[in-house]
Amino acid sequence: MRIAFVDGGTYYHHATYNDPELKVFFDRNIYVLDLPEADLSDVDCLYIASRQNPADLVVARDVIDAFLASGKMVVALGESHCEQWLSNVDWMPGVTNFWWWLTPGEDSGLRLNEPDHGLFSYITLDDATWHRHGTLSVPPGAKSLINAIEGGSVLYDDSSSSGRRIVSTLDPCYHHGSYFMPATTGFLKGFLPWLKQGAPASM
Amino acid sequence: MINILHLRAVSHELPGFVKSLHARGIRSESVRDISSKELAQCEILLIEAHVDQKALLGMKDGLTACLDAGGTIVFNGQLVYPLFDSVGLFQVASGRGRDDLIIERVNEHPVFDGVDCYDMSLRRGVAGFYARGANPPPPEAEILHRLVKDGSPIDWIWQRRQGGQLLMHSGNTMWMYLDDKTSAARIAPQLLDWVCAGAPVTDLENC
Repeated sequence: MRIAFVDGGTYYHHATYNDPELKVFFDRNIYVLDLPEADLSDVDCLYIASRQNPADLVVARDVIDAFLASGKMVVALGESHCEQWLSNVDWMPGVTNFWWWLTPGEDSGLRLNEPDHGLFSYITLDDATWHRHGTLSVPPGAKSLINAIEGGSVLYDDSSSSGRRIVSTLDPCYHHGSYFMPATTGFLKGFLPWLKQGAPASM
Repeated sequence: MINILHLRAVSHELPGFVKSLHARGIRSESVRDISSKELAQCEILLIEAHVDQKALLGMKDGLTACLDAGGTIVFNGQLVYPLFDSVGLFQVASGRGRDDLIIERVNEHPVFDGVDCYDMSLRRGVAGFYARGANPPPPEAEILHRLVKDGSPIDWIWQRRQGGQLLMHSGNTMWMYLDDKTSAARIAPQLLDWVCAGAPVTDLENC
């Protein structure tokens, strides 16, 4: 899988992309303002890192749609309001509990929904557990890989229409690039090798 | 009227802070809607930590001209592009544990008057919200806060010989504590008091 990292120019995107342990998984860096004019013929996957300015991606919507229409893959991570620039995404805001882990025995509220999915050969639920920024409705035909107990998904795999989308409300790049929350580093160290291997859906 | 501009980021702006800006008549613009020329004309710039630094790098001339004309820039965040000559790029602290990220004051400054370093260091007992490393200062800069453990200079102020001053904070926006129920909530209003007074240069008092 040839992966392009879509970079919003922030410090956390810079830190994530340039992390020597992660950079090996990316084939290109595309500054988000260059995306509308980018030639993506040598790319199989657009990795749209978390916490982007949604307005920048709305401008690139035609390019993203065409990329998917050619059968390719888009990874849309949290806090970038992808419901504004990725069709068929329904995001529901929720109250983010940043502090749940301070209470002994407290439940994160996340559940594996497809434990036999190929991603879970690379990460565990603990690697995806920090907090979530709302939840997603799962499009018909898509598979939620991680559910929230209040309903909805925090990460799903959708091949139900043109191309393939991995959509999540998790924001690993922000926290990894801020050197904050070790689980996010664990997530990326598993998620990116999985992606690089072609994102196998089965184990 | 002082020409103050709050440069908005792409996400996670604190609504309470934006409200405080409006109450004081301070202009707030997205980095996408501003030009290098407009930056050059500002007397005071407040820059959010989540700003697109790559976009700012393309407007470095404006940042430099703002300072050269005697302006003040308050920069938040890990500096990863060379926006300011003589300022180093972010270096993460040597440790990431609770004890590695405790803050101490080196020099008093009106922005931090009455703010307890304990309240900056810990929120609900968790360390690291304020800063996890430093943007290395030029030798003439005066350190305001550093990490106790490794000495990382996380807040500093630099009176440039060429004119202007840079107040640097190498973590999340220094006004993020606005709604806290601790002394750290004083930072945001005191920062705005200071900039609305023209960001006067003060003789710093060593702690």
